[in-house]
Amino acid sequence: MKAIRVLVANRPRLMRELVIATISDQPDIEIVGEIPEESGIESAVEQTQPDFLIVALDRQDRLPEFCQGILQNHPQIKIIAIASDRNSTVFYWASLRVQSNQIEASEAGVLNALRGIAQPTARLQ
Amino acid sequence: MGEKSKVYIVCCNRLLRESIARILSKKTDFNIVAAQAPGSTSREEIIESGADALILDSLEFLLEDPSAPSGVCALGRALRCLLVAMEDDHSRFLRAIRCGARGYVLQDASAVDVVSAIRTVVDGEAVCPPHYARVLFDYVACQAVDHPTDRRPSQWGLTRRERQLVPLIGQGLSNKEIASQLSLSEQTVKNHIHRMLQKVGVPDRLSVFEACRSERSAADTKDGGYLV
Repeated sequence: MKAIRVLVANRPRLMRELVIATISDQPDIEIVGEIPEESGIESAVEQTQPDFLIVALDRQDRLPEFCQGILQNHPQIKIIAIASDRNSTVFYWASLRVQSNQIEASEAGVLNALRGIAQPTARLQ
Repeated sequence: MGEKSKVYIVCCNRLLRESIARILSKKTDFNIVAAQAPGSTSREEIIESGADALILDSLEFLLEDPSAPSGVCALGRALRCLLVAMEDDHSRFLRAIRCGARGYVLQDASAVDVVSAIRTVVDGEAVCPPHYARVLFDYVACQAVDHPTDRRPSQWGLTRRERQLVPLIGQGLSNKEIASQLSLSEQTVKNHIHRMLQKVGVPDRLSVFEACRSERSAADTKDGGYLV
């Protein structure tokens, strides 16, 4: 079975490392890159062509705009955007247009989203 | 192998809580007693669990003690508390210490740093980011006015607060930085410094520091104290 390829671009560092530690334990999920700075995300997406991008930014209010920008250029990937200080996680994907939905801000929530188990009900944005 | 250290995790951020628990569960020297959200547990429950260390991601859990202010440090004193994933904020760091925290790990730390900090705290030591050591030094220097040898009245009649400002001025801190350290407004600091210049009769703030240092050195020599 083909592993799910994930690029992790979380800020701050601690959350990024903890998310990676969680994902690394999963046999069906492969980490294809770890990006410490927002400026390196776009090129890393180009380079690694992941199935998923897990992202958290220093300025979390920029997440929706940032995710839409990435999806416009790379509509094939799905994004899990973590707002660590608000205990919320949003799943972004593009079909005809960019869509998003809340998912559970937990290990299970993130892993289920990666595996497509908890494919969210579309809410147009 | 020695006994496992019992760790109680209370984090608002569920992902953080679960990830820390996952990492610690893989280590042979830790036993996770519980991993809870602040609203799902109580101080009594934590103390009764017999945990060796309490991991928190928020200072509020220590502060929101119904018996405060006298009991504000009760939990901090009973357990070895470690704050993790904290924002880089000096005043919160100092507050955490006052609440009894034994460790403070910033959100830019690594997962390895967190595990190492937990071990340090469990061993009865304290841990903080290296650059926070300076914050502690500055804070203690500020408090030096409470030392008996510093209770001598200043020849210029500086107030206790004005004397607190002296070492901070000497460190070259701006009014804004001094205000932040002493939890004052910038304007209040400005007013204090203005009055200090008038009292000491010098043209600038660094001259105030020099004058106070000379005064203190002279007094220390007279008292047989040490000059540093």
